[in-house]
Amino acid sequence: MRYRLRARVLLGLVALGALGAVVIPAPVAGAARSGAKELVGTFKLAAGSCSGTTPSGTYFRMIFPGGTIAAGKFFDNPDSTCTDQSYTLASPGTAGGLINGKYQADPTPAFSTSGGALASSIVQPQSFTAINFGIATNPTDPQTGLAVPAPVIKDKNGKLSGQVEAWSADWNNLHFNQGSPKPDGTKPGLTQAVSGTYNAKTHAFVLTWASAVVGGPFNGFTGYWHLQGTFKPKKS
Amino acid sequence: MRQHLGRSITGHWVSVTGVLGRSTPGPRVDVVPPQSTEQSPRTWTLVVLAVLGIALIVMPAAFGMFARAPKGAVMLTEFRPFMTTSRLDGFQRDIKQINAGVQQSRHSVASYLDDGSADGSSGSFKADYPNFASFAAQWGAIDTHMTSLLESVQGNLGNYQAVAALPSFRLFPWFFVVPGVLVLLLVATMVIRPRRRRTVRWVLVAVGLGLVLAPAVFQMFQRAPKGGQMMSAFKTIETTSNVETIQGYFGAMAVGQGAIRLELVPALERTGLTRAEINTRFPALATLDQRWVHILNDMTPMIGAMSDNVVNYQAIAALPPFPLFPFFFVLPGLLIAGVALAAPGQKRQHQVSSEPSGPLSPDSSRN
Repeated sequence: MRYRLRARVLLGLVALGALGAVVIPAPVAGAARSGAKELVGTFKLAAGSCSGTTPSGTYFRMIFPGGTIAAGKFFDNPDSTCTDQSYTLASPGTAGGLINGKYQADPTPAFSTSGGALASSIVQPQSFTAINFGIATNPTDPQTGLAVPAPVIKDKNGKLSGQVEAWSADWNNLHFNQGSPKPDGTKPGLTQAVSGTYNAKTHAFVLTWASAVVGGPFNGFTGYWHLQGTFKPKKS
Repeated sequence: MRQHLGRSITGHWVSVTGVLGRSTPGPRVDVVPPQSTEQSPRTWTLVVLAVLGIALIVMPAAFGMFARAPKGAVMLTEFRPFMTTSRLDGFQRDIKQINAGVQQSRHSVASYLDDGSADGSSGSFKADYPNFASFAAQWGAIDTHMTSLLESVQGNLGNYQAVAALPSFRLFPWFFVVPGVLVLLLVATMVIRPRRRRTVRWVLVAVGLGLVLAPAVFQMFQRAPKGGQMMSAFKTIETTSNVETIQGYFGAMAVGQGAIRLELVPALERTGLTRAEINTRFPALATLDQRWVHILNDMTPMIGAMSDNVVNYQAIAALPPFPLFPFFFVLPGLLIAGVALAAPGQKRQHQVSSEPSGPLSPDSSRN
């Protein structure tokens, strides 16, 4: 009698489960649910340029604590070739740029004896106040020690979004997480989400975000990143 | 039949074989001449000891020590690489070298580039090298502030070392909690196991003396006041505002050095001077140019440590003043030892006859 009752209960639960599976849609991948599609390939970077009235290509700026992304106050890099030296231009690295969904980790060692960054996959090391800085994305963020996902950028009708939590600027023997969101998932200070545009026909893209520096000598500063170039889909 | 009477901490009379309420009605019992030599702690002593134990346990929580003391430990650890004579001397040297390079640039180099202008203040040098001119105008204030800050830090090196020689700040809350728990357990033992109270009493005295001696053992009387001096000296250094000011200096110095490296030196080279001749003629400028990366390597982590420890400093500053800490051990220690010594009370040597011979009068047998 007891066994029969248990069997009935079990059967009932199975039936409920089956009903639920039919009636309630199964969780779908974020991309499918939001309609955003992960771009598989490399965001090939165009070198930064100050030849026009406004800088173009790939560059970054650093904003002092208390400033704003639009109006600064900006940190001037004397090594910038721009008239407005708050723009530090970057040129594509050995991988040509940012590989979507993959880590582009720091080399070992990550720094030269003078503290210059050696990471050169995403961008070529660029002088910042006489010391080279570089960019890397590591499974473990070297500043916070937290595990971070590989950068993922998605496209939805020409609008880019995603996360670059692992984005790390290396300079002067120091690592500065410059991701958005930050490795703990927050968006402190002036941190702004990744956004941008993507032309599916020409594959031209512009990707921007801002990331507050949390901790270290530049605590309270904000890095503003502007990546521009052409997306190169991965050949399947 | 005879019963030995003791007193519980509530003041009720307790017999070994039963409990007799103070006003227990019933047959009269006689209090007979004492025969037992067992001692009983005074009630108040046990209460005071229990209160002291609880106070020791509660005190770290009341002062927020569990959250703040570890931050102090972090601060001391993160300052350690910089708090050495050689490192602090190095920072002073960095600032002096920047100062020498700036002064030489604004006078000798400016004069040279202006081709005879007295001190470069004629206007053309400033106009030709606005980045350097802007930095040079700020440098006096930067130099004064940074030199003063470094002197203050260097002046507190001994104080820092004294504090760093104390046991880890992480342990401090436990230095109160552990004796507190111990005191409570011992008091409980005295109540539950009266036969052991003589031994327990001496353990309590030992715990008290341990607390009294701890500051002496750890040299807290010398070190804690030094910690207090360090905290006072760092009060104006470890602030967000000060750190942001120094970050601003860093930006200004980077621009200034960039102007020397990328504008003045090339300008000197354009006059026909070789690098060697520049080094000979303008050694301070050359030294700054050559050592700039080293200066950045040296000073940037220090700014990072200063910035990262503003919160930690504030946490420690919110604790009671350092010089009081030894007394947080000594006073409870003295009280515990003193009260424990007073704990036995008078010898109580009671025997109670169960034979009715008159009304029970506990007062007559009290201390």
